[in-house]
Amino acid sequence: MFITALPTIAQMVGANRILKGVSITYPAGDPSLAVGDEHALRRRITERALEMLSTDVGPGTVWETP
Amino acid sequence: MTVVHYLNQFFAGLGGEEAAGSEPIRIDGPVGPGRALAAAGLAVDVTIACGDDRFGEHEQESLETLLGWIEELDPAVLVLGPAFGSGRYGYACGVIAREAGRRGVPVVTAMTPDSPGVIAAEGVAYVVPTGSNVASMKDAVPRVAALAKRLAAAEPIGSAEEEGYVPRHRRENVRSGRTGAARAIDLLLAKLDGDVRTEVEPSADRVLPPPPVPDLATATIALVTEAGCVPQGNPDHLPTRHANVWLRYPLDGVGSMSPDAYVTVHAGFDTTFANQDPNRLVPLDAVRELEREGRIGALHDTFYTTTGVDTPVATAVKFGQEIAAELKSADVSAVILTGT
Repeated sequence: MFITALPTIAQMVGANRILKGVSITYPAGDPSLAVGDEHALRRRITERALEMLSTDVGPGTVWETP
Repeated sequence: MTVVHYLNQFFAGLGGEEAAGSEPIRIDGPVGPGRALAAAGLAVDVTIACGDDRFGEHEQESLETLLGWIEELDPAVLVLGPAFGSGRYGYACGVIAREAGRRGVPVVTAMTPDSPGVIAAEGVAYVVPTGSNVASMKDAVPRVAALAKRLAAAEPIGSAEEEGYVPRHRRENVRSGRTGAARAIDLLLAKLDGDVRTEVEPSADRVLPPPPVPDLATATIALVTEAGCVPQGNPDHLPTRHANVWLRYPLDGVGSMSPDAYVTVHAGFDTTFANQDPNRLVPLDAVRELEREGRIGALHDTFYTTTGVDTPVATAVKFGQEIAAELKSADVSAVILTGT
């Protein structure tokens, strides 16, 4: 599965499990958050990635991290 | 006759990566490459520009503003770029070209033939092929200007083969003096001679989604990135762009991508935030936590890295196949790949 802030490009090149990242320069973090909050966000993103890996999806599926 | 020209933040003179978040801007007259277009006989009336990251991250908003201006200006032709091998710039050019073209504006852009922008343009725009960097500006500009002038004058444009633009995957019926059988034999004879051509280009490679991982608690998960993360000092000299290699580094006993131990050398984005905490690119600390809690069986003891900047699709495919082969032979169940 692919974590990227540019899901439309990922779809175009044929990626199937795509998770929308936070930003191009920090797909799995957010420097505007306090350290603890940022870590919690990264954990949610990673858990969502695992959820996507264990889910049956169609071609070019894009999920977001709630 | 109005000519509108689209540029990214860099070519519009707004700044480099630090200005990649710049909102759409409208400037009277030619800027940067627009002056070269003017010298080649295509006078630019209005320049519009947007930061590459801004466009990528706020595509709908940016597009609305830019298309609003294009609609208001009602140009005889819209020129975008050249974007050369820049993926984000090429993508923005391709998307704007497609949307403006669908609204009836004659459009020409320029970039490397394997830019994501070519796919994004969906055959709506004419794309002049360029080299991967600005060194090919001198060659590209006269070709873009010539094609744009003809489009503005509503002159007929010939096939990709005749005109030298990137094939648009459009089929047009033409009358040939020769039968299909004779043409097929020509193609076969040319192929036997080592000259492989086709009348119809193949479409992009597609891989079906692999089945889900049945049991994460026993699965081995690997981390792979194109974000250019390497140990501090870049000991194996991973190129900052145009990477011709991927590298692997051990993760035994490594709990987090500490900024003291890792750095990104990627030349395609502002790495300030990434280098403050490389876990923002490779979420190692979070995956280790999930491993300790038994949510996954194990994290693979090696991570894989390269820089995805100006990378031809063919090279990226090769890297993917090579890394996947190693991961398969190491019984890795699934990969979390991060991209910038």
